[in-house]
Amino acid sequence: MTEVAENPLLEGLRPRRAPEPCVLVVFGASGDLTRRKIFPALYALAHRRLLPEQFAVVGVARTESTDDEFRDRMEHAVREFGRDDLKQDVWDWLAQGTRYLAADFAEEGAEDRLVALLTELDEERGTRGNRVYYLAIPPQMMPTGVEMIGKHRTSDGWTRLIVEKPFGHDLESARRLTELISSDFTEEEVFRIDHYLGKETVQNMLALRFANGIFEPIWNRQFIDHVQITVAESIGIEGRAAFYEQAGAIRDIFQNHMLQLVALTAMEPPIDFTADSVRNEKVKVMKAIHTPGPKHVVRGQYGLGFVEGKEVPGYRDEEGVAPDSMTETFVAAKLFVDNWRWADTPFYVRTGKRLARRETTIAIQFQRAPHPPFEETATEELRPNLLLVGVQPDEGVSLAIAAKVPGQGMRLRTVHMDFLYGGAFRTELPEAYERLLLDAMLGDQTLFTRSDEVEEQWAIVDAIVAPWRRDRPSFPNYAAGTWGPAAADELIRRDGREWLRH
Amino acid sequence: VAPALNTPPEHVEEWEGEDVTLRDVERALCRLREVAAEETEGPDLRTSVMTHLAWVPDEWHEAAMETLAGLGERHPSRGIVLSPEADAPDGVDAKVSILTFPLKKQRRHVAAEVIELRLRGRLAQAPASIVTPLLVVDLPVFLRWRGRPSFGAPEVEQLVDVCDRLVVDSREWPDVPHAYGELPFDRAACSDIAWRRTEPWRVALADLWPGIAELRELAVEGPRCEAMLLAGWLRSRIGRDVKLEHREAVQLERISVDGEEVPHPPGDPPSGSELLSAELDQFGRDPVYEEAAREAMA
Repeated sequence: MTEVAENPLLEGLRPRRAPEPCVLVVFGASGDLTRRKIFPALYALAHRRLLPEQFAVVGVARTESTDDEFRDRMEHAVREFGRDDLKQDVWDWLAQGTRYLAADFAEEGAEDRLVALLTELDEERGTRGNRVYYLAIPPQMMPTGVEMIGKHRTSDGWTRLIVEKPFGHDLESARRLTELISSDFTEEEVFRIDHYLGKETVQNMLALRFANGIFEPIWNRQFIDHVQITVAESIGIEGRAAFYEQAGAIRDIFQNHMLQLVALTAMEPPIDFTADSVRNEKVKVMKAIHTPGPKHVVRGQYGLGFVEGKEVPGYRDEEGVAPDSMTETFVAAKLFVDNWRWADTPFYVRTGKRLARRETTIAIQFQRAPHPPFEETATEELRPNLLLVGVQPDEGVSLAIAAKVPGQGMRLRTVHMDFLYGGAFRTELPEAYERLLLDAMLGDQTLFTRSDEVEEQWAIVDAIVAPWRRDRPSFPNYAAGTWGPAAADELIRRDGREWLRH
Repeated sequence: VAPALNTPPEHVEEWEGEDVTLRDVERALCRLREVAAEETEGPDLRTSVMTHLAWVPDEWHEAAMETLAGLGERHPSRGIVLSPEADAPDGVDAKVSILTFPLKKQRRHVAAEVIELRLRGRLAQAPASIVTPLLVVDLPVFLRWRGRPSFGAPEVEQLVDVCDRLVVDSREWPDVPHAYGELPFDRAACSDIAWRRTEPWRVALADLWPGIAELRELAVEGPRCEAMLLAGWLRSRIGRDVKLEHREAVQLERISVDGEEVPHPPGDPPSGSELLSAELDQFGRDPVYEEAAREAMA
């Protein structure tokens, strides 16, 4: 509004989300994330003219490579993983501002070389000292990276820090990392990525809840029987044994993506859509999550099995995994959010690798109609109303309702009314990283996690894993290609409920 | 942000008839939906976003169908194309098509319906009675009027009453800026594709603020209507009398303010389908356009 008041010509024009000139510095540029996600996202932004005119990218990694070799690799990556066909003029524009620096920051002189390169780019590309540092590096290298950036931050322009997950490995390490970062950066300069928040369908959860008058009045314990959230992957650990052995499903998915989905489902309406309003509400949910006791948590590890018709090895037979590994590849839990809206309403959550199929869904199971005036036989195929939010791969919303089966008599059956994202809006959904990279360049933190949010998430995880040190479950306890261990079914069944049918 | 998909329909089912009733058209729609669902091995989703009416006199037919072909996938709603033929014997001829587009990574398809109606004889003057039963219930109706509407004529008045938004392209009008005075702003939201074409230039001009706050003269090389609208827009926004110097060109090529050239906006000009698509994404009145159109006549 202020902008329009100051410039009457802006009224009625669609607001442009144009970032200021800047250099994006990617630490860990030889890694998979840069190839599969960051560069394809940058290309998609360039393709849509969403990057600033004065822009440069510096890839930093230990691997020896030249600028040209790096550009070639990234061009191939964009061709392979990008959502648009590569247009040569767009790529040439992006490549022109792309540099590579082979550097090990434990070595003397590496920092100076980076500073010199960035200063050179400021002059050459007009990037005005503005920096976005993307830390796509292993957790153990995080302190060195943060310290180095803090030491050399420019006095001209702004600095922003994008930090990839995992943000610590428990509450204590997360606090230490926050402390380290906050010695050189303010909270407004730190962008902790959880790429799930960049997904269109995750954001659609906010639209669904807070832009539709029909859902919010019944979005509570009075009308909702329970909530089920599933983050299922059919893939295994994809060569990430070193990381996964330390993390397991609880740190890889549960601590971040899963708890974010719980928070978005359970949060109160924020007063506006600014970063702090949204994050304040999410933090309240995290604080209200009741720590589940050991009998409300099931962990599992996959054994040999079949996924999509192919035989796949058990977790302990994956390359780089200890033959007696006790790392969990599956977690299911029954959570409670202790507040007026949700008291006594269970949130059943489950996540795992090598499950029957790739699927992320939030299922809101409503209570049964109190007294359907039909004969019992008429309603035997009837299930309670269910609102299913598909995050991936079938992005959309489906509402299960009861309908009469055509013909004589009164037989009822559950039918689904579908809203498919791709059906209503015939545009390609932007990749999460496109949205998040652009938001970081714009300084918009709404879809990034705040330090107190991360700490609350770790507090929940710490409480769950504390008893795990004392017992040794019998792993593997589920076959690859199934829906997890039998104990997960038992977890929900003893409450008289079932996991959603697939 | 995201460009619309651009895949051709995977399947097209058609039905044609002469001297038909609306009941014939509705029956054909039902049958084609069933056939299309069988052919594509799965239920098709009828996406209900709006009804898109198009009034297309013969001379605009080819251009209109080309634009519609580019739109089918972006706005897969019900499209009703009305072609008037006042000199022919009374009657309605119809062609009904169901276009099915694949949904990425899914077995299901999304279906667009196109109903082409040739309104012959006196029926060309009573289009609302034919169109109203075919509108999708409770959804906005967009009316794209090809050429210069004869405001006051029964067919225009009836269809303006039926629609929520009237979409015109004043590039198709021979009598701007006078014609802007006839736009029914008080009865329907009006939008003008010519106005949409000026958007990148308006952004470029807005970037010059506050340097152009004292602007006196605007020079535009481009179509007359767009030059007029830009001048009207500047007059209404900055509250000054802005003199327009116009040189005719097919596209907006060059703009100067008080002798200073405005940097050309980046990118290629959008296609006809993209422009209409942008208009169909907009609901409600556009007061900035309304003021610009009024001031264009000043």
